[in-house]
Amino acid sequence: MSKLVEIKDLYSYYGGICALNGVSLYINEGEITSIVGSNGAGKSTLMRTIAGDKQIDSGEILMNGEPLPKLVHDVVNSGISLVPEGRHIFPALSVRENLILGTCALKGQEYKRAMSETLEEVISLFPILGKRIKQSGGTLSGGEQQMLAIGRALMAHPKLLCLDEPSLGLAPIIIDEVFDKIIQLNKEKKLTVLLVEQNAYLALDVSDRAYVLNTGLITLEGTGKELAENPSVQEEYLGVTR
Amino acid sequence: MTIIQQMITSVSVGGLYAVLAVGYALIYSVFDFTNFAFGGIMMVSAFSGYFVSNAGFGTIASMIAAIVTGILVSIAVELLAYRPMRKKNAKRLFLMISAMGVNIFLTNLYLSLFGANLRTLPSGFKANTISIMNVQIGTVDIAAFLTSMVALGILTFFLYKTRSGITVRASATDISTAGLMGINVNKVSLIVFIISGTTAAIAGMFFGMKYTVYPGMGAMSTKAFIASVIGGLGSLQGAVLGGFLLGIMETLVAGYISATYRDLFSFGIMIVVLMFMPNGLVGRGDQSKL
Ligand SMILES: Nc1ncnc2c1ncn2[C@@H]1O[C@H](COP(=O)(O)OP(=O)(O)OP(=O)(O)O)[C@@H](O)[C@H]1O
Ligand SMILES: [Mg+2]
Repeated sequence: MSKLVEIKDLYSYYGGICALNGVSLYINEGEITSIVGSNGAGKSTLMRTIAGDKQIDSGEILMNGEPLPKLVHDVVNSGISLVPEGRHIFPALSVRENLILGTCALKGQEYKRAMSETLEEVISLFPILGKRIKQSGGTLSGGEQQMLAIGRALMAHPKLLCLDEPSLGLAPIIIDEVFDKIIQLNKEKKLTVLLVEQNAYLALDVSDRAYVLNTGLITLEGTGKELAENPSVQEEYLGVTR
Repeated sequence: MTIIQQMITSVSVGGLYAVLAVGYALIYSVFDFTNFAFGGIMMVSAFSGYFVSNAGFGTIASMIAAIVTGILVSIAVELLAYRPMRKKNAKRLFLMISAMGVNIFLTNLYLSLFGANLRTLPSGFKANTISIMNVQIGTVDIAAFLTSMVALGILTFFLYKTRSGITVRASATDISTAGLMGINVNKVSLIVFIISGTTAAIAGMFFGMKYTVYPGMGAMSTKAFIASVIGGLGSLQGAVLGGFLLGIMETLVAGYISATYRDLFSFGIMIVVLMFMPNGLVGRGDQSKL
């Protein structure tokens, strides 16, 4: 199993506030890796530093052994796409335009392929997007917007898809649907996925490997199953009382 | 002047206001500040058109010279003045102050280089009128109107039908998510400043042909700023609407009441609109703008 991304001793601050306090982890190619932790643990900050959307204060992030570029659009270029917490689709733009925006990092043949093959794949993965293709993004339901945000990220042909709380604010039945698609992408397309969830039960269930992040520090790591069976994880994140 | 002449003049002035207002609106929508250097860029472009025209070239050549100048100066202002400030996360207010500084700088630079005298932009249109239903209409008015409409049409096509245009609209809604899409914000800024430089040049040339070219002519762009405020700051549709409304109403006021009251009227109407609709006629506060 080869490591796609490796993070070494990562620190990140907001002004004087330390959000990441020396995080080290790795993501195996073709696996679903998840990060669980409570509110304010630094999960979103970690995602944003990986995606290049937040400055690294010290430490490094390597992809295939090479340091990532500094600017966010170059990071997207090099194959990391983030579906941000809260989805952040463009409400005034149509579903189609939102999907086109996913291709902004692509050029020439790759762009052509995205606009034909990938667009079709995304629509067959989320058929509702095909039905709503001309509607503006803002008119979609929360679940549809999440699908659009994922579809948009897939349009960039990512090597690593980062999902920040894809279950946020969705009804359980929609959450199941979204997670089924994430698993399908991982199994069928061998897509590497980094998943951040407060819903630890769900995340650990679908993950090959997982980390627990606690106020900017990794406190536990293991397979999804190991963590789900760990007593302290059960107590703190899975609501199991004993 | 007959009512038909009035109407033609008003839509030609309105079209120019609309084109200029769109230039303001585009930059406001993406970067949330008003580029007050716009008037200066318009004036500098008109001067280039004047020099080329004076050297014996035709209207098309001088228009091209004006547009090239408008684009280059617009980009230079962005690269030298605004971008370094944005990199340091400067407050928008200071960007606007810098923009005013650029405007005064350009005006005074041209004043000291070329003097304050009014220059007539020789053009193929100037003296020509055509007669429609026995009414004499200046060809420059018709050309101004048609050029504005074509420019607005091309811009609409670009923004709604091309991938680069969609990136500009996305950046106008949410510039940080635009980055996550792989959009290079610096590239978007170049696109936006190229477009606004072009609109400044088009307006500068036609104002130069209708009236005269002089270092203080950039003040006319204040009207376009008012138009974009009336329409709704940062909204392109609003800018076009505001431009035409202002152009038409101004011409009517000047024609039927008195030219003295024209500016009083323009500013008055802006104040009244803002009193009742603080986001302008079609503005929706911080909602998406393009
Ligand atoms: N833009 C910001 N400015 C200042 N502090 C911030 C900012 N964003 C996050 N923080 C702080 O950094 C810490 C980590 O926040 P982060 O959003 O990464 O947590 P999280 O694990 O994603 O939380 P949640 O589960 O609520 O999404 C928190 O203490 C938070 O207050
Ligand atoms: Mg978060």
